[in-house]
Amino acid sequence: MPSTASPKPAIELRDVSRRFTDPGGHVVGLRPTSLIVPEGEIHGIIGFSGAGKSTLLRLVNLLERPDAGEVIVHGENLTRLAPAGLRRARHRIGMIFQHFNLLHNQTVADNVALPMRIAGADPARIRERVAACLDFVGLAAKADVYPGRLSGGQKQRVAIARALAPEPHVLLADEPTSALDPRTTLDLLEVLADANRRFGVTILLVSHEMEVIRRLCQRVSVMEAGQIVEQLDIAGGQIPAGSRLASWLADYGSVGPAASPSPVGAPAAVPHHHFALEAAHA
Amino acid sequence: MLETLIELQPEILKATGETLLMLAICLTAAVVLGGALGVLVFLTSPGQSLGRFRGFNLVANGLINVVRSFPFIILLVAISPFTRVIAGTSIGPLAASVPLSIAAIFYFARLIEQTLRDVPRGVIEAAEAMGASPLQIVRHVLLVEGRSGLVLAVTVLAVSFLSYSAVAGVVGGGGIGDLAIRYGYYRFQTDVMVITIVLLVILVQTIQILGQQLARRVDKR
Repeated sequence: MPSTASPKPAIELRDVSRRFTDPGGHVVGLRPTSLIVPEGEIHGIIGFSGAGKSTLLRLVNLLERPDAGEVIVHGENLTRLAPAGLRRARHRIGMIFQHFNLLHNQTVADNVALPMRIAGADPARIRERVAACLDFVGLAAKADVYPGRLSGGQKQRVAIARALAPEPHVLLADEPTSALDPRTTLDLLEVLADANRRFGVTILLVSHEMEVIRRLCQRVSVMEAGQIVEQLDIAGGQIPAGSRLASWLADYGSVGPAASPSPVGAPAAVPHHHFALEAAHA
Repeated sequence: MLETLIELQPEILKATGETLLMLAICLTAAVVLGGALGVLVFLTSPGQSLGRFRGFNLVANGLINVVRSFPFIILLVAISPFTRVIAGTSIGPLAASVPLSIAAIFYFARLIEQTLRDVPRGVIEAAEAMGASPLQIVRHVLLVEGRSGLVLAVTVLAVSFLSYSAVAGVVGGGGIGDLAIRYGYYRFQTDVMVITIVLLVILVQTIQILGQQLARRVDKR
């Protein structure tokens, strides 16, 4: 496991576990798992469906409560907070979702304003942030449009603007590109990378698409059967040969007909460019 | 028929006014109290943000079912002592408004609870992730995303209780239904019966059309 020297972790999960009983009566979920994401990092979580990726992500803002263990975000132990304290902590943890989860009866600008209204921010400050964030995602012209009239990629941009408006420390991304086509996916990854560069926001991203993880993330946690089984440094877009992830790619990866280009100067160690673990598994 | 219409015009106007009064009272009670009850039942249902208040949810659900089990005319008679306490009398439109309101509150609570189920869970979850309190979820998410369904729920409520208010006529509740019973039924004046039914049809059509138009206008999905 590569060591990362950083002053203070943005996200720290200590031996968190969470058990569910699935519809077939099997006990599934997370086995005691720990994860440290240093401030400013873009960290990916990859694995087959049912490996517990989304559960792990949803533990970070306690949308899912762990049965045991501790969740610490920006030095604050969320698991010990009372409801009001948890709500305050959540004001600084942004989240985006596979299906965007925008309010369809509110304009784009009102959607972006929502988390700040919830946090009780000053109206002038809200206007300023809404304008800045819509500008950042390139949708300033769509402020007064309803989300129903936007494309999927535009909706996810609005969701990113919404998540960034309250200036979060941490951005959680739950399969943010899985409902989008490959080209839109690339545009969106650029927006996320840019948000990380410009605002220093720590990003924890769950995806089953290797290409997404490889392009965006500096480190990746590989999950299997409710546990992180491997952590890799992939900052150069390289998947270390001999790693479990590399052998997965060799086993399940298939060369797509229209493989997208690798990042400049960083050819993948594995020749499989577009790769969906979930699809291979199904 | 025209003669009857002219002759009974003051009665018809008075009856229409009484019907509208009963509707106004019971709809207001239903929207305020029934709406609040419906929202609470929704929020305390399993998997929602106040799902930990399971006991409240069970009791409130049971109560709604019990009140809704009563045939309206039985409820009307059964609670007449209570009506007398509240309205000071058990006849007339004001008195009839008491059982109407009680029936409407529980009817609307169920309608609202079911309407809110159409708000996607993911949107509510997004608001929870932003740190929204249950009250903020109601205000910023449920009432916003559910608004066209809520308008239609009020429309259904208004139409149902227009017809319930006619039942109140049986026990001297006043209103258009009372007119129909006193003239049309007891005195076999078919023309009065026809007039009252036409009047009710016009009212129902108006409510329905207005409700649907408003629902469409507020729906941006």
